[in-house]
Amino acid sequence: MATPASITIEDVESTTQGVVVKLVKFSGQLDESNVDEKAQQIYQLIESNPTNLNLIFDFEELEYMNSKSIGYLTDWYGKVYENGGKIVIAKTRPNILDILQVVGLTQLIKTYPTIDEAKFAITH
Amino acid sequence: MNDIATTLKENTYKPVKITITLPTHAYFMSGIRDFTLSLIKNTTEFSEQWAYRFQSVVDELANNAIEHGSQPGEEIKITFIYNPNESIEIQVEDSGTGKDARKAEEIKKIVDQYIQQSVPMANIRGRGLAKIVHEWTDELEFIDKPEGGLKVKVVKYLTHVETEELKKSFVYSEDKTHILI
Repeated sequence: MATPASITIEDVESTTQGVVVKLVKFSGQLDESNVDEKAQQIYQLIESNPTNLNLIFDFEELEYMNSKSIGYLTDWYGKVYENGGKIVIAKTRPNILDILQVVGLTQLIKTYPTIDEAKFAITH
Repeated sequence: MNDIATTLKENTYKPVKITITLPTHAYFMSGIRDFTLSLIKNTTEFSEQWAYRFQSVVDELANNAIEHGSQPGEEIKITFIYNPNESIEIQVEDSGTGKDARKAEEIKKIVDQYIQQSVPMANIRGRGLAKIVHEWTDELEFIDKPEGGLKVKVVKYLTHVETEELKKSFVYSEDKTHILI
């Protein structure tokens, strides 16, 4: 038994050779009942694209995230960043932005109000 | 819920106490989060932002009780005490039978160490109590229960929320010639 949540991954056209850009859409509630399993999708994505991976996390449909899911977010950022990639977050709901701010994650990962702004930021 | 909310709001000066007992399985936390959000939004003077914050506080405390403090198949207890126009208190109790259950003093020491870290944490765990619960409450207390197990008690005062909001409005006011209230 787990709380409903899903992660879908789409390709985004990259303007730079050798750079892979993916749009990762989160929906539902990431909590203790599902986060360990869902996190594996992102680890697999990182393993399949070991260098220059740019990820745009679309949080528009993400209703809740707990402290462990924020911990995973930090870990993914570290793995992607040390291999020349980037992670940005787009379309965050106020309650999610509030929690990202209180744990200090917005000092590490930039957030943007729209996907277009996030795309622009990650490709320039 | 709306009828109950109206009744509770009309009971202006009487403290409201609600206790929920639930099995030690994280699946049930989704329902507890919904309940917390509705309770705070509909029956207290705390804002919607604070309703979401308490949702996280309850979730983090209960997850710790489930994961560390109690064995599978047992129960944890969550108590909400709302003092109208004054404060909200939340208590979460475990049975103390979990494989890494700790005494109040040990937990306090660990949490204090995390709180003192000034740089963003790099590890996956540790943000629940030290960041979310600590930052969003005015009192955080760990109590060893006489019958065994741990009780974590947090309190948030409405006056502190109002003061914090007021301070923010001072900071965000760009017009130096006027004070924004």
